[in-house]
Amino acid sequence: MAGIKVKAKLKNGVVNVKSMIKHAMMTYNMAEKKTGDRENANFITHVTATVNGETVLDMSTSQFLSKNPIFKFQFKGIGAKGDKVEMVAVDRKGKTYKGKGKIK
Amino acid sequence: MERRQFLSMTLGAVALAAVPASVRAEDFRKSKPTVWKAKTVDDAIKAMYGSTALTMEGVKLKAPDVASNGGAIPVDFSTDKDVKTIAVFQDANPEAAVLVVEPNKYSVNKYSIKIKMAKSGTITIVAEGKDGKLYAAKKTLDVALGGCEG
Repeated sequence: MAGIKVKAKLKNGVVNVKSMIKHAMMTYNMAEKKTGDRENANFITHVTATVNGETVLDMSTSQFLSKNPIFKFQFKGIGAKGDKVEMVAVDRKGKTYKGKGKIK
Repeated sequence: MERRQFLSMTLGAVALAAVPASVRAEDFRKSKPTVWKAKTVDDAIKAMYGSTALTMEGVKLKAPDVASNGGAIPVDFSTDKDVKTIAVFQDANPEAAVLVVEPNKYSVNKYSIKIKMAKSGTITIVAEGKDGKLYAAKKTLDVALGGCEG
């Protein structure tokens, strides 16, 4: 089950989020070595996080994030304990990865 | 001219209609495809922001001096400036761009990520301020074991 692990913690009015996307993050060079075709490269291209329908993170990414990339980010002014941080990531092949975590 | 269009599009509803419903803000891979293909950091910064005049302040960047594993190098960056976008580049891999963050009104602008680097190189963080300046920070590090498998 492809997904994203999300952990969120509220501290001093700021929500700290730790997340990990399970993904091989294959670069063009790796794809060429392993499959002989650069076009087989596959990696996360876009990540968003929302709380109560409001976007709190918006990131365009490339193949140079590590395998199973980890993102830590912070936001404030929205989200109380018990609210859910929902994350969505899209990879190069158009596959969507989803995950959510409660703010603790 | 291209830059002007880009800015007005970001503000207008056009951008909202052009991307899938799940992605609300701008997808820089679609709006700025040349950035992701640029081979050098300078070219990538130019493609992204139209200028390479960097102000070396306002951005904090933390990365190890020596990375034992090039496959997952922790990079922390933050800025207290009022910024529109923050971009991460490096010069060790075939292409330069790593990611672009678009902060919003809730963002604290403090991020930690893990990146891959094929060999020793320099990480450059560029934050585009709302005042039009490009704030930047650089960090050169040694990579003991390359992480991109060539």
